[in-house]
Amino acid sequence: MDCEAIREDILDVLYGEGGEAASRRVEAHQASCADCRRELADLRRLRGDLAQWRLPEHLGARPAVPAPPRRLPLGLAAAAGLILGVTAALAFSGAELRYDEAGFSVHVGRETDARALADLERRHRQEMAALRAEVAAVHPPDDRQLLQTVAAMIRESEARQDEARMASLRVLQQRTETQRQYDLARMSAGLSYLDGKAGLQAARTTELVGHLLQASQQK
Amino acid sequence: MTPSDEDLVVAFQSGDIPAFDQLVRRWDRKIQGVIYRLVGNHDEARDLSQEAFLKAYRALGTFKQEARFSSWLYQIAINATRDRLRRRRRRTDLSLDDVEDTSEAALRDAGPSALELIESSDLSRAVAAAMAALPEEQREVVILKEYEGLTFPEIAETLDVPLSTVKTRLYRGLGQLRVRLERQGIRGGAAVPVPSA
Repeated sequence: MDCEAIREDILDVLYGEGGEAASRRVEAHQASCADCRRELADLRRLRGDLAQWRLPEHLGARPAVPAPPRRLPLGLAAAAGLILGVTAALAFSGAELRYDEAGFSVHVGRETDARALADLERRHRQEMAALRAEVAAVHPPDDRQLLQTVAAMIRESEARQDEARMASLRVLQQRTETQRQYDLARMSAGLSYLDGKAGLQAARTTELVGHLLQASQQK
Repeated sequence: MTPSDEDLVVAFQSGDIPAFDQLVRRWDRKIQGVIYRLVGNHDEARDLSQEAFLKAYRALGTFKQEARFSSWLYQIAINATRDRLRRRRRRTDLSLDDVEDTSEAALRDAGPSALELIESSDLSRAVAAAMAALPEEQREVVILKEYEGLTFPEIAETLDVPLSTVKTRLYRGLGQLRVRLERQGIRGGAAVPVPSA
């Protein structure tokens, strides 16, 4: 058996599918064929190499369930709670942190708030007064003049609309007249044709009557 | 007692829809594995696997058990993969079959994404690259045989080709892999044990 013919058996033996019959054929061939012996050995080594190509571990993994929210360690949580509590207490008490020429300072209490609120109220009163003065300085519009202006605008608008309407009517009238003249021309042509036919018919009838008269007179 | 694939198919066809879930759980990783080795990209493998299972779900109602369920499912997955690779080739205008240059760069071009998610050894990377450079029909046979452990008749059934064609493609594929790996400086590590006949 030649090497080409034993190839399928070699594959069967390589993958353990051929049974004893294939094994015997391959062994018999290899006993006299060093190339095929080497071929089978090479293929076995190759299979060893191919086996190294492994799938990624995460392949086929189903979408991960969303992880539960992470919890802080107990000590860290306690520290965070303490900081939050102190901050809230300071804020509630009206404490003020200030950094100025005198350096960093902490003011505890609500005195600052009262002073700030008084300043704010005074500033708002000043602004309101200024606005009132400004409004009073502006002369109220004359209602009669305004009405006249509006009436003039309405008249102008109506005039423009009338003009546009008239223009449309003129165009329509022109089109209608053109169509009417065209129709009249066609009707006239039709009547002339009918007249022509009727005239011809009358001439033939007259000619026929003439012939009849001549014929009767000859008799 | 664990129901066979065929039992689950019959159950599904009788209206037991959850039977399909069992089939998916049983075959999901294997199908993704085959597709991953064919396309070399994890996300694409997952996407194509879902596509294959969706097609299987739609067609399972009319599936006649003349073929094995596994062969049928592999066939769906491979067809979906072929379509994807065909579209990808049209997009990149590069055929893996045309890659003759076996330099590392050329192998990378032949299957660029195969290298991206390989996290194991250099040998694993070299095998992936050599595999990516194989003609598609040879790669399919090698993967089904070498990594899925299908028998020759099962591969013939899956790919719908004669047994002799399967063996020819496998032989040629193995030959090319050997040459490519040798050019990468890899010449046979541990040989697989001789299978008992």
